[in-house]
Amino acid sequence: MPLNQDVLWYKDAIIYQVHVRTFNDSNGDGIGDFVGLEQKLPYLQELGINAIWLMPFFPSPLRDDGYDIADYHSVHSSYGTLEDFRKLLDSAHERGIRVIIEMVLNHTSDQHPWFQESRSSRDNPRRDWYVWSDTDNRYKGTRIIFLDTEKSNWAWDPVSRSYYWHRFFSHQPDLNYDNPAVREQMWEVMRFWLEMGVDAFRLDAVPYLVEREGTNCENLPETHAVLKELRRRLDEQFPGRMLLAEANQWPADLRPYFGDGDEFHMAFHFPLMPRMFMGVKLEDRKPIIEILQQTPEIPPTCQWSLFLRNHDELTLEMVTDMERDYMYDSYAGDKTMRLNLGIRRRLAPLLENDRRRIELMNGMLMSLPGTPIIYYGDEIGMGDNINLGDRNGVRTPMQWSGGWNGGFSTAEPDRLYAPLIQNPVYGYPAVNVVAQVGSEHSLLHWMRRIIDVRKSNVVFGRGSIEFLHPPNHRILAYVRRLGNEVVLVVNNLSGAAQAVELDLRGYKGHIPIEMSGKNIFPRVGDLPYLLTLGPYQFFWFRLRRI
Amino acid sequence: MADETFLTDDFLRQLVNVGEVDILIGLPTHNNAKTIGSIVQTIQGGILRWFPRERAVIINADGGSRDGTPELITGVSIDDVRRDANLHALRTLHSISTRYGNSPIETVALRTILAAAELLQAKACVVMSPECSIESDSISKLLRPIRGDGFDFVTPIYRRHKFEGLLITNLIYPMTRALYGLRIREPYTRDFGFSGNFASDFLAQQSWDGGSNESGIELRLTLAAIAGHRRICQTFLGDREHIEHRGADLVPALRQTVGTLFSAMDADFKLWSATNGSQSVTTEGPDHEVLMEPLRINRKRLREMFASGVAELAGVFQQILSPPTLAELQRIASLNEAEFHYPADLWVRTVYEFAASYRKSVISRDHIIQSLAPLFRGRALTFLVENRNAAAEEIESNIESLCIEFERQKPFLVQMWKARE
Repeated sequence: MPLNQDVLWYKDAIIYQVHVRTFNDSNGDGIGDFVGLEQKLPYLQELGINAIWLMPFFPSPLRDDGYDIADYHSVHSSYGTLEDFRKLLDSAHERGIRVIIEMVLNHTSDQHPWFQESRSSRDNPRRDWYVWSDTDNRYKGTRIIFLDTEKSNWAWDPVSRSYYWHRFFSHQPDLNYDNPAVREQMWEVMRFWLEMGVDAFRLDAVPYLVEREGTNCENLPETHAVLKELRRRLDEQFPGRMLLAEANQWPADLRPYFGDGDEFHMAFHFPLMPRMFMGVKLEDRKPIIEILQQTPEIPPTCQWSLFLRNHDELTLEMVTDMERDYMYDSYAGDKTMRLNLGIRRRLAPLLENDRRRIELMNGMLMSLPGTPIIYYGDEIGMGDNINLGDRNGVRTPMQWSGGWNGGFSTAEPDRLYAPLIQNPVYGYPAVNVVAQVGSEHSLLHWMRRIIDVRKSNVVFGRGSIEFLHPPNHRILAYVRRLGNEVVLVVNNLSGAAQAVELDLRGYKGHIPIEMSGKNIFPRVGDLPYLLTLGPYQFFWFRLRRI
Repeated sequence: MADETFLTDDFLRQLVNVGEVDILIGLPTHNNAKTIGSIVQTIQGGILRWFPRERAVIINADGGSRDGTPELITGVSIDDVRRDANLHALRTLHSISTRYGNSPIETVALRTILAAAELLQAKACVVMSPECSIESDSISKLLRPIRGDGFDFVTPIYRRHKFEGLLITNLIYPMTRALYGLRIREPYTRDFGFSGNFASDFLAQQSWDGGSNESGIELRLTLAAIAGHRRICQTFLGDREHIEHRGADLVPALRQTVGTLFSAMDADFKLWSATNGSQSVTTEGPDHEVLMEPLRINRKRLREMFASGVAELAGVFQQILSPPTLAELQRIASLNEAEFHYPADLWVRTVYEFAASYRKSVISRDHIIQSLAPLFRGRALTFLVENRNAAAEEIESNIESLCIEFERQKPFLVQMWKARE
């Protein structure tokens, strides 16, 4: 299956997020690798996704799951070789799957040779590649992100007897983007991978590239200038490739990252995600509609990236204090589930393994404006292990079967990079791909179908959205539209059956065709269109004028 | 279940859209445009501040307002409340309205609210008077005992002028207390809270057949809570401007309160006849607070109304009252203004004899209630004079003495009740 050559391919994409280490171990060393991932491409193709986003696979001391890169031009030996990666890339492309890789621009590992040189002497040519200071009093207006572990954004370096700046862990010194040599070097890094065939970068932690006194050191114009320059070079030299921003910000603050269509192609919509969970818990569309109404228009070539869960905690930075308290009480009653300002849990446990809620959330993910991202394992309802530290509880091995190590690896179980989920509800004997492939009504089959329906109509990826406001607030209803193509989406956020009357007078004469079963519903007339929905049920109707 | 023919289709449609709620605020209205906007804003602010996570609805049962009251209720924007109070709403807060007729009927309004509470499975409900502004935390004070502490019924205590609510202080409170054994200061009130469970039971048990013309539904609710052994508490709401019953309004007020109380005594005889003494009720905040501003009293007019009533209604009183009681009243009626005094023990005996006669229906029950009006005016005059220069605690002590007198003479009431069986 050839790759779709449309330069706006990312608008129609369904992205699957996976860490090489977690997916499939081909050589029995207990760690997933490129060859193992390549072996599972047919599974992903069958699932229906058309892009994979690989988490960092570079050489790294792995003190932050690979986001502490020690060499940008190679791959971590645990995952294989650069050649293995090339083969994976080619195989994915042959199957019509694009490959998005991580690029951590903001910082390196403190083990990176650049930092080792930088700290070695104040006269070293790379001294100015990082942000050094004789005091820890600069940039006082900057918040600390990892509140649970870090007390300051400055760390003392005993080697060069000065402080270095870090927005994340202290072992992740920030690069100095005021230095032209750094900017040039990081473009060279990106070009290295683009020339190999990588389709897109997810650029990590982009708001923090540049620091300025008297500011909060986030979203600065100087940072945008750096990013625009990267984009200009990308478009010139590698048209059709894509940049995805990781910027955990409010929609209005995110908007500048799209620029005039000349900065990022895509950006994660962080504030929407917790509000989807909140809406379902509250059984009220209010938080979802509110945040989407606050979301500014973006250039036509740009796209939001939507997700339910990812490798990090369910971040609650972009909610009010009251909303955060509510989310904690609702979804993380056990305080060990909380991390930083978030909840370190997977989708299925968050939703109490309620299949109806899992389907509803995925239905909204696939039908709201943006490109959906599925976190590996969520398509089969994998669980988590909150007894593992940090965010490792949501990064356990993929559960392929009920056999040895869940089919993930042939290694001795205690050699696995992390233990498999073993509990009776979510453990690999109960939740695995083989079992779900064999069951026509499994979550996996349902996910395949919903992805198929989503891909059947470009309106989901590219259409406008118009919210309906039925008096029943438990119903979230909207119309997606692209030219003459119209899709009506009706979601019941409640755990009880609901009746709703929709004002569809603007679509009088249209015949709703339910997109999953292809059944036609009564024609839209002058009267309010009455629908009844079961608990957490949703409908996608194609409105046809025939 | 609520009578399926009782609610309009439009109202039912609105209820369907609201769905299950945790909190329901009922507003029975009739031409309250002057006050209702600020009351709804205060209610919404209270819900956002104190119950941000709860599913809430404001239900307006309107008796045919012609001043746009319902539109004002449904038109209050929660965004205005949020802006003013810097509050954040997690949920949709609904305000819906239904018109049940073209004139205000308390029973129908409350029945509508109760039916809505049952259909929406409301866990805690409050009914607020639409006539005067409320303090911002009133909603919390009425709801919290139900949501947090498991009470079924919450009555208010107000900061009143010392001579406000004389019918309550001189009859309804002390007699309810003596009969049912609970010291509920405001048994007849327009602001109260109740559990959804109690609402459903009351809705099911109450006879609504002649309901649209019956009055005093709020007092019936209080008495039902007592008779049903519901958990009851009081909460101090502070100031509440009250629309005083003018002279001409006294008879309707007596019908709503005394008439309701006398009616309930029949059904509740086993309960109240077996009750001795009285117990305090759990109370949040002070159990009384009075304002002491001087008040001009038209003693002459009150005395004249009493005296003329005693004279004109002598034939009626002969059927209601015992000869000694009537003789004593006639003696008092002959006293001049300076000597006038209607003592507590005689007042209690009068009321009890009225109650017993009401039960026996010696004459039309409504005539019995109406004929109490001049006597109440006489008692009110004595209370006003006795307490004109009294300090707050002295007034409270006098009310307490009256209550004790009601309790002391209760065996006399029981005796009369049984004697007339």
